[in-house]
Amino acid sequence: MTHDAMIDEWYPVGLFSKLDAGGRKTALMGEPIDVARDAEGNARVTGGNGRPLPVCVRYGHVWSSLGAPQKALFAIPEADQAGRRFVDVGVVRVRCSPLRAVENFLDIAHFPFVHTDILGAEPHTEVQNYKVEIREDEVWATQVKFYQPQAAKSASGGITTEYMYRVPAPTCAVLYKTCPPRPGEWDVITLFVQPLAEDLCDVWPWMALYDDTTTLTDLIHFQQTIFLQDRSILENQIPRLLPLDPGMEIPTRADLTSVAYRRWLKRHDYTYGAQLVAQ
Amino acid sequence: MLPDTTGFWTPVALSADLPAGTVMPARTPAGSIALWRSDSGRTAASADRCPHRGMRLSHGFVRGEALSCIYHGWSYAQAGNCLRIPAHPGLAPPETIRVATQRVEETDGLIWVAVGEPTGHPPRMEGLVPLRSLMAHASVSALEIAAGATADPVGIVWKIEPSQTIRLLLALQEDDQTLIHVMLSDKCSPAQRIAASRAAESLRRAAEALQAKGIAP
Amino acid sequence: MKLYDYILSPSCYKVRLMAALTDVKLDIRPVDFHPGAEHRGAALMDLNPAGSIPILEDGDLILTESSAMLVYLAARAAPEWLGSGTTEETARVQQWLSFSNRLTTSLGAARLHEMLLRPGDITELQMHGIAALREVEAGLVEQGVRGMRFLASDRPTVADIACFPYVALAPDGGVSLDPYPAIRLWSRALRSLENFIEMPGIHRLHELKPAPYIEPGGA
Repeated sequence: MTHDAMIDEWYPVGLFSKLDAGGRKTALMGEPIDVARDAEGNARVTGGNGRPLPVCVRYGHVWSSLGAPQKALFAIPEADQAGRRFVDVGVVRVRCSPLRAVENFLDIAHFPFVHTDILGAEPHTEVQNYKVEIREDEVWATQVKFYQPQAAKSASGGITTEYMYRVPAPTCAVLYKTCPPRPGEWDVITLFVQPLAEDLCDVWPWMALYDDTTTLTDLIHFQQTIFLQDRSILENQIPRLLPLDPGMEIPTRADLTSVAYRRWLKRHDYTYGAQLVAQ
Repeated sequence: MLPDTTGFWTPVALSADLPAGTVMPARTPAGSIALWRSDSGRTAASADRCPHRGMRLSHGFVRGEALSCIYHGWSYAQAGNCLRIPAHPGLAPPETIRVATQRVEETDGLIWVAVGEPTGHPPRMEGLVPLRSLMAHASVSALEIAAGATADPVGIVWKIEPSQTIRLLLALQEDDQTLIHVMLSDKCSPAQRIAASRAAESLRRAAEALQAKGIAP
Repeated sequence: MKLYDYILSPSCYKVRLMAALTDVKLDIRPVDFHPGAEHRGAALMDLNPAGSIPILEDGDLILTESSAMLVYLAARAAPEWLGSGTTEETARVQQWLSFSNRLTTSLGAARLHEMLLRPGDITELQMHGIAALREVEAGLVEQGVRGMRFLASDRPTVADIACFPYVALAPDGGVSLDPYPAIRLWSRALRSLENFIEMPGIHRLHELKPAPYIEPGGA
């Protein structure tokens, strides 16, 4: 099986702020790589055979690719808005397909059971209809609404939160979410996933929030709490790879984002971390 | 294990380890199962995988007479049919959404699961009560060598001291692991029961050492 | 009483859990352990030269060992958590309090390696973790024969709280809890206690609440 389509994509490989000359030994799609900061302070990424790999630094992270990226890293316009706080949440390793990690991030129906009393709670389990479309070759879900007991660190008490999801790259997802202190604006929470292997990934959440009161540590802890609750799910899904053929797993209306994501992956031949034939 | 022409019964757990309203993971030669007991006390075994998003059902929870998945709360009846999808509270789940189930029988404090379609019932353990289950990273032959006894179809009879004999019920697992259920006389005192538990630990250590050294096949 | 706390640290969770169970109010001071490594910074090193968390500060008293914090909370607010005081039970409580350190250095280190990419020999750590889990399992089986559901007594004590978090989070470090039925029942008994609180990686026991009533034929 070839994974050419995903080889040319950008992937997060480290936090820029944490890089030093000593470098960080990690991996990208099975190949050992080294991520370091050179004498001039620039990020440098080296492949397994010592060849230099493409580099860009954006959204707090160093990005690289094993292939030759055809286009620049996707844009997050909110990353340039004044007044937002940018939060490097730090890495968490998960023994699952990078695609499973993204799919879970796009799911709201699990909130009452996995993020109980934070992002959801029984009996508020119903997922209302929402809209899913492909916009400029990205998966978008909009008008996603869900009742949340504590939607964000800045929220006090339960509110119905509105979400938008966006998948701009096969292992990256961006969430836009009602911003409690500033109605009308959206908080941005992303999940950048570094595929180490088909069934192993490093996940780098990152946020761009309007929140002037919560401490940085509280913001980090809130997001780490949410992601670590997901981790024990992700490590116990069978199979580890994401099944792309229908039949292996049964979606409902609540899973329209996941259905669109799986179709989009298949259409682009983004199959690193996917299972194509039902077993 | 008792092979017959159509299938056999395998002992997966002790009844006492599965109280009402709980679920636990178990393994059979036919695959991993979620073994659960409803609030009213009925046992059931289903495939350990929710057909929605592949989550292990043994991580789920039991309410009333249903087993629910921890991921999205989809719940299943003993017969394996899906009862409820919380994301769509008003929807009656279609019959096509179901988990595979296996027959379960419970006798003498043991839970047996059918592999295939056995015609008979699990063997009885007259005069014996179960003490505990433990997993050994050792084959049946390693356990036989360590115990100095030969396994019959219902395990090994092992003399732990001149006055005390225990029966080790064995269930072969994948990767050269063996699940041991320690059975002993229903007349044993607490001190004898603790001694039997320690003896079983000791046997496991010996068998695992043999296995690691490659002495046992 | 101020707790320097990291939400993902099982040792910090022991103290939060003990405080919740004994109804003690803690002043939580979050520490940016990951990715910030704040616990190695000058301010926290002044409090605890070992550079570890949790740290519990109550007036002049500064505690840096979680087992001592559990004992402090229990002695202040709920002495029944120290055990009944019989010779044997007192010894068992001490046995498991000391033993809990082996869970930290095996299962805890495996978890940091697998989850937060800390260095370590993972095979070795997991092997020691399994050995420790087997001891907990055997200990609970023997307690069961004595008619007791908890590690040191027939009621939960500080010993259970000292051991529970790293045991329950063993799968985070790639160590399965599937083969331990006695641990499963014990963990369930602790998670069912009134005022029990979770930490990420330990899910709510949803069965403790009845299923929500659904309007028949609605939606």
